[in-house]
This record gives sequence, structure tokens and C-alpha cells, in this order.
Amino acid sequence: MALKDNKFYKMWFKDAWPYLTGAVLLSLFQIVTLASTGNPWGVSGVLANWGAWLYQLVGGNVDKWYYFASEGAQKTLDAGILKHPGTYRNVGIIFGAFFASLMASQFKIKKLKSTKQIFAAILGGLLMGYGARIGFGCNIGALFSGIASFSVSGWVYAIFLFLGAWAGSKLLVKYFM
Amino acid sequence: MSEAETSGAIKRSSRSSTRTRRKKKNQVPVGIITGIILAGLAVIISLIDQNLGLFWVTGIIFGFILQKARFCFTASMRDPLLTGSTSVTRAVLIAFAITSIGFWAIKYGAHINGLPIPGQSYVVPVSLATAIGAFMFGIGMVIAGGCASGTLMRVGEGFHMQVLSLLFFIIGSLWGAHDFGWWKLNVISNGKAIFMPDVFGWGGAIVVQLLIIVLLFIAADKWEHRKNEN
Amino acid sequence: MAEYELDCLGEACPLPLVKAEKKLKEMEVGDVVIVLIDHSCAMKNVPEWARKEGHNVEIEEVDDGEWECVIEKCK
Repeated sequence: MALKDNKFYKMWFKDAWPYLTGAVLLSLFQIVTLASTGNPWGVSGVLANWGAWLYQLVGGNVDKWYYFASEGAQKTLDAGILKHPGTYRNVGIIFGAFFASLMASQFKIKKLKSTKQIFAAILGGLLMGYGARIGFGCNIGALFSGIASFSVSGWVYAIFLFLGAWAGSKLLVKYFM
Repeated sequence: MSEAETSGAIKRSSRSSTRTRRKKKNQVPVGIITGIILAGLAVIISLIDQNLGLFWVTGIIFGFILQKARFCFTASMRDPLLTGSTSVTRAVLIAFAITSIGFWAIKYGAHINGLPIPGQSYVVPVSLATAIGAFMFGIGMVIAGGCASGTLMRVGEGFHMQVLSLLFFIIGSLWGAHDFGWWKLNVISNGKAIFMPDVFGWGGAIVVQLLIIVLLFIAADKWEHRKNEN
Repeated sequence: MAEYELDCLGEACPLPLVKAEKKLKEMEVGDVVIVLIDHSCAMKNVPEWARKEGHNVEIEEVDDGEWECVIEKCK
């Protein structure tokens, strides 16, 4: 029997999973993450570190910035990107998704289509980056992990995230479509 | 499965239905080789540093799950108002509920054994910065077509647009980190970190948490059907 | 019974869905639109939405990571 007709191949690799399956499995690995690393899952804090290392590459210095001033943050920066656990996890997410799309035979390079997309990506990226720093995280760290950690901040984040998504939808339909 | 290919029921013009198709390439062999390389790296990284290996493996698993389930936190916040669909929203609420129960067990277990409670650095102050930051993030993720995890996942799927938004996410993070001192001094320090068990007790916290989630789930379900009847 | 084609290749969520929604509004009952999609999330949410709205929907994988979602307007 050809692989593409195999029941388990189709179920696990070819077809999209129901959202519920995703919810259960992500929760399982969130719990694994807290139990094994002592912290829940976070994504965007790592990106701030990537920014700092890039800035150092071009001769910048972040040592005086409040955000990176603590002893822990300095240690992380000094140790470098190859010793940074969060970096391994974020790069792992990219490759996990790459692997998943290849196994479904659905990987495709999608080039930029219009200048609108370029503006959308730049503006969206900047807003997310800045927002994630002052709001203590992204949808994973501040929302998912925040709520699951019983922090009231997670619920407040959810309310304003929802309002932001509503405003963003209006902008998207009006200017980026 | 709703994704199963179907054909024939809808009448199409002969032009579109007999259009010459490019022959599909089978990417699975490349996928298997990629899988072997990722697993090999996992072994090598773990031998050098077990902790880094753990982060690497869980990262791959998170990426795989996000992609297979098309799990999108952006859609959970955007779709209810944009399209009236709450299927992703309800899945996210279920994830909140399950994870809350697991986290509660881990945290409570540490508490009654007199150990430091893990993950408390994610209990952060509530201030105007939380509101402004979340609002900015909400706009950004809808415009860029993905939040942080969604952007990483779409980079893996081959989207050039998300490579660009990831780059500017990093630049935006650096900008935010640069200004963080000002926000901390003027805004965040006015706020307070509130850990629900400190307010409601351990039992009360999980009851209140699950109650909020259940009520939101019912509201999402009602919203979906209200839209349907129109 | 007109047939339309909607090119959403290279578009990320939610644009394929918003465009399909707009197109269906302009169409007559019985018309067919073929939405070209190469976004793995849109291949799930466009058919899901159209079925919920009560239209006839077919989804076919036409190339690696490319789909045609055929929607027949039913009401």
C-alpha cells in the first residue's frame, strides 16, 4: 500500500488536525515545560535578546538599558546565542513547522506579493515587538502562560488584545487589502 | 475529515476542471531526511547540554503541533468579530482550562511542600502598559498575519512575508527594550502583580479561573450561533 | 451560472476569507467561485466558513501546498 493511502500517515501527517487536538497537545507540552524547566512557554522575550545580539554585532551597546541591566540578563547576553535555551526553542518551532509541512507534502515558498504586504509586515512586526516588551510578552508568554499561571495580567492582556485585534481587522480591510 | 478531497459534486466549466495541472512532487522523502537531521541534532545538542536539548525538542514539538492543528492565537481573537467564527477561540479556551489545571497542580504541589513556586516570573504587574502593549500587539498580529509563535511557524512554512515581520518584530522588541526603563519608572511601577491564589485562596483560584473560562466558552458558542441565524 | 476565479496565492489569513466573503456577496445563487489558496490555515478556515454559511464546498489539493476551494453559492 502506498504511503499516501496509509491511514496513520493521513491521520498524523497529511490531514490538518482538529483545533481541539491542538489545544490538548499544546496544553500537555505547556505543562511539561513548566514541570521540566521551571517556567512556562514564552516566545517573544527571546526575540528581544536576538535584537540585542544583532545590535551588538553592529557596534551597539545595551548594557545601560534598564531592560538588560539585571545580573541575569547580562549573564544571558554574555553567554551568547549558542547557550541561550529560548533560542533553541524558537528555532525548533520554525523547524517543527517546516518538518510538518514537508511530511504533508505541502511546503511551498510564498514570495512577497505586493508592497502592501511589505508595509503590513513591517508595521505589524514593529507593533508586536514594542507591544510585547511593554506588555510583558506575546500571545504565548503574556496571554497563554500568563492566564495559566493565574496572573490577573493575563486576563487584562486578553481584553486589550481582543480590542487591538478588532482595530487591526478594521485597518487591515481598509488599508492592506 | 473535512479536508478530505472531494470531487465532482459541483459543476465546473470544462476550462477550469480539465486545466493542466503541474505534477505534484512528493516532499515526504525530504521530510523524512529533515526529521532524521532534527533528531540527530537533538542527540548532539543534548550530549553537549541536556537543558538546551530539552528546549530544542519541545520547540520542534510546539512547531509541529501549531502547524498540524493550524492553531492560531491571532485567529482566536480576530475571527469572532471579523467572520463570526469562534471555533479557534473555543479551542484556545479549552487549552487555557487544561493548562490551568496542570499549572495549578504543579504550583500547589510546590506550595504545600514548602518549595518555591515555579514560573512566578510570569505573574507580572497589571498597569496601563499591559493595556497599551496588548492593544499594540493585537493590531500588529492581525496586520502581519500572525503573532510571535504564528510568525515562527509561518517562517517554517515558507512565507517570505513572515520572515520580514519576524525581522521587524526583533527590531520592535529592541526598541521596546530600549524604552522599557521609562515605562517601568512611569507606568509599570504604579501597577501590582496579582496572583489569583493570593486573592481567592488555592481552591478559589482554580474555581474562579475555570468559571471565567466556561462562561467565555458559552458566550463564544452563543456568538457563533447568533451569527448563523442571521 | 457564472464561474469566477479568486487568486489568493501568497495571501495570509484572514485575507483569503475576507475576499471570498466579499466575492460571494456579489454573486448570484448558483454561481461558482474557485478560490486559489496556498496558505495552510486558509485551506481550513475558508471551507469551514463557507460550509457554515450553507454553500456547497469542495477543496482539492492541486499542487504541493496549493489548494483550490470551489464554492457554489446556495443562498
